[in-house]
Amino acid sequence: MLQMSKAPALPATLLEIVNLTKSFEGVKAVDDVSLHLREGIITTLVGPNGAGKTTLFNLITGHLRPTAGDIRWQGDSVVGTAPWKIAQLGVARTFQDLRLFSHMTVFENVLTVMENSAWFWQSEAGSVTERRRRVHEILDATGLVHKAEVRANDLAYAERKFLSLARIMATKAKMWLLDEPASGLDPGSYERFVTLLRNEVRRGITICIIEHNLEIVVSISDRISFLDQGRLLADGEPDEILSNPELSSIYFGERNP
Amino acid sequence: MIAYLINLATLVCINAILAITLNFIMGYAGIFSLAHAVFFGVGAYVAAFMALQWTDSLLFQLVAAMLLAGLLSAALALPALRVRGDYFVAASLGFQVLATTVFSEWKSVTGGIGGLVGIPPASIAGHAITDPVEFFGLAAVALALVVVLTTAIVRSSFGRSLKAIRDSESAALAFGKNVALIKTLSVFYSTAMCAVAGVLYADYLSFINVESFTIDASTLFMAMVIVGGIGTVWGPIVGAVLLTLLPAALTYLPFLPRTEIGSVQQMIYGLAMVLLMIFKPDGLMGAKQGEA
Repeated sequence: MLQMSKAPALPATLLEIVNLTKSFEGVKAVDDVSLHLREGIITTLVGPNGAGKTTLFNLITGHLRPTAGDIRWQGDSVVGTAPWKIAQLGVARTFQDLRLFSHMTVFENVLTVMENSAWFWQSEAGSVTERRRRVHEILDATGLVHKAEVRANDLAYAERKFLSLARIMATKAKMWLLDEPASGLDPGSYERFVTLLRNEVRRGITICIIEHNLEIVVSISDRISFLDQGRLLADGEPDEILSNPELSSIYFGERNP
Repeated sequence: MIAYLINLATLVCINAILAITLNFIMGYAGIFSLAHAVFFGVGAYVAAFMALQWTDSLLFQLVAAMLLAGLLSAALALPALRVRGDYFVAASLGFQVLATTVFSEWKSVTGGIGGLVGIPPASIAGHAITDPVEFFGLAAVALALVVVLTTAIVRSSFGRSLKAIRDSESAALAFGKNVALIKTLSVFYSTAMCAVAGVLYADYLSFINVESFTIDASTLFMAMVIVGGIGTVWGPIVGAVLLTLLPAALTYLPFLPRTEIGSVQQMIYGLAMVLLMIFKPDGLMGAKQGEA
């Protein structure tokens, strides 16, 4: 309660994770985690490899089913809901290994994300002209305009990262789950990346990021959740988490047996 | 000679429809089906059975054949929703073998091994199409419609969704695509259009039997798609032209004894496939690798 007094009122919860557990053949990849992802801020998930961060994303998006616990999107449980339905509710994600639509052009990669209807008409996505204009805007913002007709497979590494981001920008999602979106970016690209994210948050997007690089974590996070071996060890303001010697020793692998 | 060429051209049209519809699921949905000849057969048997029992109306035959093939496509869609790649190929192979057995054993409907003979010519609005040139015109129109429709679908949002699923199913799901429904619809379209080729085939030859609808036929259709170029618009047509005309062309080689043509054909097919995979793995119409 002490920290509540010094912190300003927290933003409302968009996604709530309640006592969530996921076991793989007895090994708990996520172990009784409860967490609020709050509206309009960037929450960073940190923790060593195997902490359960990506598993947590897979549970939220419905790619995996939890063993126990609940996930509530704006108050309603989404456990057992198909991934594509969860996506249409407003949760979008990127993948650590990107999973671009590799044989499609950059333009098509972004365009197809806007076209969510399985039928031949797209009542919700606006006219074709509108869609194309929007794709152009997004490619402009991500610096991919001159690569629009290149196949995703033929892009350079940093461009692939930006395409992954462009794709998520094309969704109407309120919440973005980004799995190590900045890893391997050169400093110039990284600057552009952070600016982009900040702009999107200002626009009202809620972001949850998995990130290893502490410099990036410090520069980008509004809140940090620290996971280790599937358990949530701490959750709070960046200063508070990063100044905790116990957590940093876990993070840097100086764990006592 | 003209009659012979018209005959070949008609068969090219029918094979091109088969290759295009197979390419639609292979190249855009990533569903490698070795059971395409089943739906070709369903179309042919429906047309033949209806023509012999009830009606020579082409329209009725087409509607019935497309519907039945479309419904049977669930046999392809269900495994395609559960398994991918090699596993699906095996599942479709099983379906093909099963269907071949039904075709050759269900005597009251398919005529058994002997097949159905004396199928009356189809008619459009009461006009029976008996002239081979007219029939070629019909097949060409059907092919043109299939090309236009398929190309339109591939270039639509539905086509993009299909390609997205082919490239990464999990990402397509994560971006809100109803993968199961989109795959099911694509298989339905492919098999229904494939049945059109079957209807034309039965009405054209006025004789069908199981030989045309076996695993050999399925393999040939797949070869057409691969030779021409998977996932391209013109590839399957080029493949269908080449693999339909090749046997015909071989009969003109004077030094080949007629009895050996079959085995020479097989050797040429095999050699062409190996060379193609070495020098042009994306098919004759495939995109150049590594273009920026």
